[in-house]
This record gives sequence, C-alpha cells and structure tokens, in this order.
Amino acid sequence: MSGATGRVLLVEDTPTQAEVAKAHLRDLGHEIRAVETATEALEVARSWDPDAILLDLELPDFSGLEVLKTLRAEGSETAVIVITANASMNTAVEVMRAGATDFLPKPYPKAKLVFTLQNAMEKRALVIEKRALESELQAARALTSRQGFMGFIGASPAMQAVYRTIENVAASRANIFITGESGTGKELAAEAVHKASPRAGKPFVALNCGAIPRDLLESEIFGHVKGAFTGATETRLGAAKQADGGTLFLDEIGEMPLEMQVKLLRFVQTGSFQPVGGSRPEKVDVRFVCATNRDPLAEVEAGRFREDLYYRLYVVPIELPPLRARGQDVLLIARAFLTQFSREERKRFRSFTPEAEGAILAYPWPGNVRQLQNVVRNVVVLHEGERVEAAMLPATLLRAGPRAAPAPAAIPTAIPTALAEPAMPAAEPAPAAWQPPPEPAPAPSAEPAGIEIMPLAEMERRLILAALDQTGQDVPRAASLLEINPSTIYRKLQSWRGAKQRVTA
Amino acid sequence: MSAIDPSIAEQLAQDLPPADFRRIIETFEDDLGRLAVQLEAAAVAGNWDGYQRAAHSLAGAAAAVGAVPLEKAARVAMDPRSPHPPAVVVPVIRDCAVAALRELAALAARSPGA
Repeated sequence: MSGATGRVLLVEDTPTQAEVAKAHLRDLGHEIRAVETATEALEVARSWDPDAILLDLELPDFSGLEVLKTLRAEGSETAVIVITANASMNTAVEVMRAGATDFLPKPYPKAKLVFTLQNAMEKRALVIEKRALESELQAARALTSRQGFMGFIGASPAMQAVYRTIENVAASRANIFITGESGTGKELAAEAVHKASPRAGKPFVALNCGAIPRDLLESEIFGHVKGAFTGATETRLGAAKQADGGTLFLDEIGEMPLEMQVKLLRFVQTGSFQPVGGSRPEKVDVRFVCATNRDPLAEVEAGRFREDLYYRLYVVPIELPPLRARGQDVLLIARAFLTQFSREERKRFRSFTPEAEGAILAYPWPGNVRQLQNVVRNVVVLHEGERVEAAMLPATLLRAGPRAAPAPAAIPTAIPTALAEPAMPAAEPAPAAWQPPPEPAPAPSAEPAGIEIMPLAEMERRLILAALDQTGQDVPRAASLLEINPSTIYRKLQSWRGAKQRVTA
Repeated sequence: MSAIDPSIAEQLAQDLPPADFRRIIETFEDDLGRLAVQLEAAAVAGNWDGYQRAAHSLAGAAAAVGAVPLEKAARVAMDPRSPHPPAVVVPVIRDCAVAALRELAALAARSPGA
C-alpha cells in the first residue's frame, strides 16, 4: 500500500457502525467526516470533495444508491465504497453498475476495510493522473497539430485559414498586417509569422505604438544619440536597430501620430532611418508586421492613417476571428487554460461540467481569449474541486443567453470592443472578484432602476477614472480591471487633456 | 447459543485499542437503549414505518459488533412478510440485546488493557 492519505466521508446512520468504521480508520491519517443522511452526504460530497466515500445503502431519507447515482451523474470521480449488511449479489452488481468503486459487506474486519479503501483511493488517483495526462497530451497535440499552431489553440475553420496564411507567407519578405478585436492574439500571430520564417533565429521586437507617449515614439523606434534631447544621457538603440535581421512588430499601428507615420513610411520604403539627434542614416533588414484592432481602411478614409503607408504595410492581411466566431475552439482553449492554471496554482481541476461548458459556449466573449483566460484563472484561484461547475463561473456568463450565430469574419469595428461594451451599471457594487463586462444594454423597459443614463463616452470616462482611483493611478492594473490595453487608457487620458486644453485655450 | 459471534466481536477487540473497543460497546449500548424504546413505542402506536426503521437500525448496530441473534431478530421485525407480530418479536429482541451486552462487557473486561 502506498499509505497515501486523503479525505474520507463516512455516510452511516447507525452510530455503532459509524463508531466501528471511525475506529478502524483512526490511525490511518485520513481526514474523516461523518454524516448520517443521504442529503447531508450529497452536500458534503459536493462542498468538501472527498477522495473516498464509505456509503451505507440504507439511509433514513433516501437510499445510498441514489446518492451514488446523483454524484456520478454530476461527474464526481470520488471513490465510492458501498457498505451494507445482508447484501445480495444483485445489490453488488447494481451498485457497481451505478459507478461504485468497490463493495464491502458488513460486518468487515479492519484489514478488509483498510485494503478496500486504499485500493479505491489508489484507483481514483490513477484515474485523475490519467485524465491529467490525457489533458496534457491533448494540449500538446493542440499545439502541434491542426487543433493548434505555433501557440494558437483552435481547430475552427476560421483558425485553419489563419494557420494556412501564416505558413504560406512566413517564408516571404512581404509585410504583414494583422487585424482583429482586442484579445484575439495579434501579437501571438506576429510571433508565429516570425517563428515560421527564415528570420526565426534573429530578434523579434514588439512595440506597442498606442502605449508609448507620442513624444517618445520616434526615439523608441529609431533610437537616439546621446544629447539628442533633454534626458538623452546615453545613446540608445531603437526597436528598428534591435530587430535587424528579424521582425519588427508594430502593434496598434493605428495609434501612431501622422507625423510619425511619415518617418515610418520612409523607413519602410528604404530600410533606412535616422536616430533622433543622429547625423547619418542607418540601414537595417527588417520585416514589418503591424496590427490594429481598428478597420485600417476606415482609418485611411478618415484621414487618420496615411494611404501610402497603408499600402506599404497592408501587403498580406491576416484577420484574427473573434472568439465568438470560433465555435468549439472556446472549449479547447478553456480546457488548455484550466490544465495550465491548475498546475500553476496547485489545484485539482481537471475538466468542466457539461453545464459549465454550455455557459462558456453560450457567452459571446467580448474580451476574446484574454477575457476567457481571466475567467478560467479566476475560477481556479477562487474555487476547489476537480470539475468546474457552472456556479463557479462569473454571474455574467450564466446570465448570457445563447449567443448569436457566429459573425462572419469581417473587418473589425473601428472601436475597440472592450470599450464598445456598455459600462458596469453604477448601481451595482464593484465585485470582489473579477467579473467580465456585462452584456450589451437591454431594452429601456428591461433596464434596472437606478442607472443614470448618460452619453456612452461620459460613462466610459467615469469608469476609466474610477478604475484609476481604485488602483492608485496604476494604469496597467486599471487596464486589467477594465479588460482593455493600458495604451487605451493613455490614449483616452491624452485625448481628454487635449479637449480640456482646447476648451481653456 | 452465544449472543455474539466471537469471530466478529473478538476480531474487533483484536483490531482496535481497548479504549476504542470500549467506546464501540458504549455506543452500542446507547443505540440499544434508544432503539429499543423507539421500537416498542412504534409497536404500541401501530407505526409500521417507525417500527421498521428502528428494527433496521438495531440490525445494523448488532451486525457491527457481531450480535448475530439480535441482528436476526431485528431483521424478522424489519421484514414486512414476517408472520411474527411485534408483540412476539419485541420481547425476543429485548432478550437478545441484554444477552449481547452481557457478553460484550465480558469480552471487554478480558481484552488487554482492560
């Protein structure tokens, strides 16, 4: 015997029998709880998640067989040893068919109880280990087969198209333009292009244009020489130089100021640039991969993005579908996150119940994979057990109705989705745990009382400022609470400051 | 005929520390006292469900300590097809219970550490 200890739930309504069992188990080191009714047995089994249950069949409220069937129907993998007196072979067959791990007729000597319990617990440990290995194998397969690709997980037709495009263009020198909503994995796609390309051995340098103050962007991309501006105490290489021979990923390219776009265009056309304060141009060999969550053509039409730069960069478009358009991928990804986070957090979660998977499938995931990742981590951190129950998921997921048919893979909207979502109603207290953003606002008649109706932009402003207040002006944490990129907050703050200055000027 | 099956009760006494064995006998004694009252009250009141429940618990308690004759008598009481009315069965159960307790007490006194 391995001597492994665990939680043992004793379900026995006769005190003498219970006392005998407890006395037999006392020196084995198990944590033991005892209940006398079937109702209590179900409650404790669900909340305490025992490793083994010693279950009497004849209980005062309803039968132990019903307890066993209920637990198995709920997906419990707890080892259940049915103990009963005067049992017939038929009873033994019936309970084993119902999912009992073993069967022990009363009265039993201590050695038999200990042996049976140990066997059952070892059997259960093997089942759990097997499930974990299968899950890891599935995740590994997802990463190497068409259930996944270069870090992506997903087998949907939309993702198959993405994988094919990345493979086909990786070897070329063509610039790539990635579009997709926030949280769809644009940086992952950029890295995949790089890793699949002959440049894989060279640097991949990512720069978020929206997260860098306008005045520093040129220096970040092209570098600067010592003394180029106040504070430039050292010569510093920019991203362009660092990426020489490799790939330069410019995320949120749509946030780049127009004057900077001119300099970038020259760089894209000639491969050469001049560091800030420098006197001579430098030439590098860089492949450009850009990304935005806006519609780039609409940005061009609106005059916010240079058309010539657009055509230089938008050579091979890769469009990442939102999670709601990826069908069953959401479950593959959720399971992979569950395996990963359970291992990281040293929890026992192995799977989702069918109800939980139904809720995950039904939810539209406006924050895409990043939101799903947060939800799964939240569940793993806050709960215990082997299976994620629907009740463990954030209430917003459970309130969501069946989602609409997957949207066709269209160019994403000009507004980042996370911000396009309505804000949390002011009347609701801030949840202690993370909650995904609520569903789109219901019709006026269905609105809860107490919500102050105001322009969406104003609500957005208030919410961002409230998040900043709550986090002590910590932009990354506020962004995390709001499920948006920190750059979005910087951009908003800048635009509000600009508006204020225009008013006061 | 012995009121307890020595292979069961002595096995218990061997498997467990004397304190545990004594606690089991005390628990059994408590069970008997409580269940005998419930059984007789249910019989007098004609409460068949209560009578069966008490008999079932008695059978379970008796089986745990190897009080086989008591267990058998309780199972007769549990059986709805039994031809023996409570007026016949209850006194038998009472006698078996007393005999079982007496033999268990003697066994506990003989066990090491007593």
